[in-house]
Amino acid sequence: MERSGDQGAKPHRYTFAPILTERFSGLSLLRLTAIWEAFRVATGSLRSNKLRTALTLMGIVVGVTAVIAVVTIIKGLDKTVAQTFSSQGSTVFTISKNPQIIKSREEFVKFNKRKDVTHDDAEAITRLCSACWRVGVAGNALETVKYGDQKAENVRIRGVDPTTMFDIDGVTIDAGRIWTDSEGASGHEICVVGTDMLKNLFENSPPDRVVGQEIRIAGRPYTIIGTLEPLGSIFGFSRDNVVYIPYSTYAKSYGARRSLVIFIQVPAAEQLEVAEDQVRTIMHNRRGHTPEDGDDEGFALETQDVFLNLYGAATSNIYIVTIGVAAVSLVVGGIVVMNIMLVSVTERTKEIGIRKAIGARQKDILTQFLIEAVTVTAIGGAIGVGTGFGLAYVISALIGFPLLISVASAVLGVGVSSIVGIVSGLWPAWRAAKLDPIEALRAE
Amino acid sequence: MSNMTLTLPPTESVIKPKITVDGHDPRMLISMRNIWKTYQMGSESVHALHGVSFDIPRGEYIAIIGPSGSGKSTLMNLIGCLDTPSQGEYWLNAKNVSDMDDDELARIRNQEVGFVFQTFNLLARATALHNVELPLIYGGVGSAQRHDMAKKALEAVDLSERMMHKPNELSGGQRQRVAIARALVNHPSILLADEPTGALDTHTSMEIMDLFERLHSEGNTIIVVTHEHDIAARAHRVISIRDGLIEKDERIK
Repeated sequence: MERSGDQGAKPHRYTFAPILTERFSGLSLLRLTAIWEAFRVATGSLRSNKLRTALTLMGIVVGVTAVIAVVTIIKGLDKTVAQTFSSQGSTVFTISKNPQIIKSREEFVKFNKRKDVTHDDAEAITRLCSACWRVGVAGNALETVKYGDQKAENVRIRGVDPTTMFDIDGVTIDAGRIWTDSEGASGHEICVVGTDMLKNLFENSPPDRVVGQEIRIAGRPYTIIGTLEPLGSIFGFSRDNVVYIPYSTYAKSYGARRSLVIFIQVPAAEQLEVAEDQVRTIMHNRRGHTPEDGDDEGFALETQDVFLNLYGAATSNIYIVTIGVAAVSLVVGGIVVMNIMLVSVTERTKEIGIRKAIGARQKDILTQFLIEAVTVTAIGGAIGVGTGFGLAYVISALIGFPLLISVASAVLGVGVSSIVGIVSGLWPAWRAAKLDPIEALRAE
Repeated sequence: MSNMTLTLPPTESVIKPKITVDGHDPRMLISMRNIWKTYQMGSESVHALHGVSFDIPRGEYIAIIGPSGSGKSTLMNLIGCLDTPSQGEYWLNAKNVSDMDDDELARIRNQEVGFVFQTFNLLARATALHNVELPLIYGGVGSAQRHDMAKKALEAVDLSERMMHKPNELSGGQRQRVAIARALVNHPSILLADEPTGALDTHTSMEIMDLFERLHSEGNTIIVVTHEHDIAARAHRVISIRDGLIEKDERIK
């Protein structure tokens, strides 16, 4: 009411052409202008205090880096694990003397008293288990493999029978062929090699050139009859550093008395439980389970859930620790930001006085310092996201798993650090807003 | 708007002012009516102003003069709406600002008052242009228009060549001219200068005072607060303050 009245009454008091502005035309414009001004001031003051800004950012950067790196790494591992285990799938379980994970010395002693799992056990299961689809046995050894003067160490030698074990393992032939049943039974020195053999022994020759060559495993000559499709690596361990040989050949070299692992596959996951029950009964009967055995079954029946559970437990612990580290460094970072903002308010008391004198309201000053705090922490968050992804990239390259850059975690990183900025900037900004303009102008 | 005559009961003060308390004169740009300012110093009350009343019409060039401790700074803070009186009424451009809250006062300072300070009080990190734009930013003027207005204000003080310079790249006189441009950019009702030449040499001081004279001749209302008699002598009317009271209020031109 007054404004419209006195704009007419108000003469133009200096000669350059005045522009009659509709000053309150848009509240949103006013806010945007003030926010932009606050942002300019914020970046200006951050630029003029580079070292201080860098130190202020530190806590936030460390916190966000930790979270982003760990989340990215674990997501990458999750994907690797999911792909790896789905290649065998949850349709496979194993019978072995010792479980894959032994938790104590007592267990170790107990398991060592068990009878070996033999080829006969596998035959019994094949014969009696109606819910089982494929049954196979495998024995493992680590050997040095040579071709001419080329040498590959720590190669997994896998003696398998029958040839359906290739299907249970989820490996497929690339070039050449699998041995026939009669070849397998006869104990011939023939083998099917993983792609690492081509790389390490044959200087990356094409698979069909390798078929027919003779390699030496633990000094014995073997003829390559086939090569496998690559499987890739998990946690930095190549799954292609393997040579398959017939079980009969394996038994010749390593002795038939060694305990085996029996692999059992069912057609679909729903039949798993029925098959496990049948196999358990068969094994109990064969072991002649007696009261002396106590609560020990005498064998280990395991699915891949064991690994997945272990993996899940390990990664959830890593998550908890990381969130703890991140929370601590964000809190510390927030306190640092608050401290620096209080210093900044004190240093710029005069500036606040000037701004108030020429018409800044409390909320303008509040907004300015809040935006400054949020700008610092958001920049810290953005740097943290960058270094986090960078760290994850380096680690993923070293270990060998896919790097999954998640936009959501980037947004979360910047978002959380912005919230830290608001929380820690509020008290200093409020103090600045409440400054008495006369007192503030008097400051030096 | 109430412009009827009000009779306020005498206050519980020891010294009872003889001035009749009445409403503001709507023809006046500034109407101060029985203004008191009391500060609490521990258990003691210190009266910086003991009931001051005066009017200033539009277009006046006025000096407020007084020694330090006279209450002159307190009066300046009240005129500039940086503070509110403990008692009394202050009408500025037909608005009673005596009991406005902080944000309303900020709005009035933005729209009605242009400050010029002894130490210039420019933002060190901002260019001259940005310093001049600042009141418009808080006034919510859009950027293109703001730019235009600030440029014109700088041209008016003959600083169009130095718009992109920062205060530390400017001389004292130039800085004060930037401050004057900033004070004028929002077309305020009053230009309020606090010892505007206090930090300048004699020659530059005269240039600034010449600029004030020119701005006055162009229709601006100018109030200069000073303790220097030769600066006060450039004004057309001088109000002398001593011990919180108006000692003298005389027209000299």
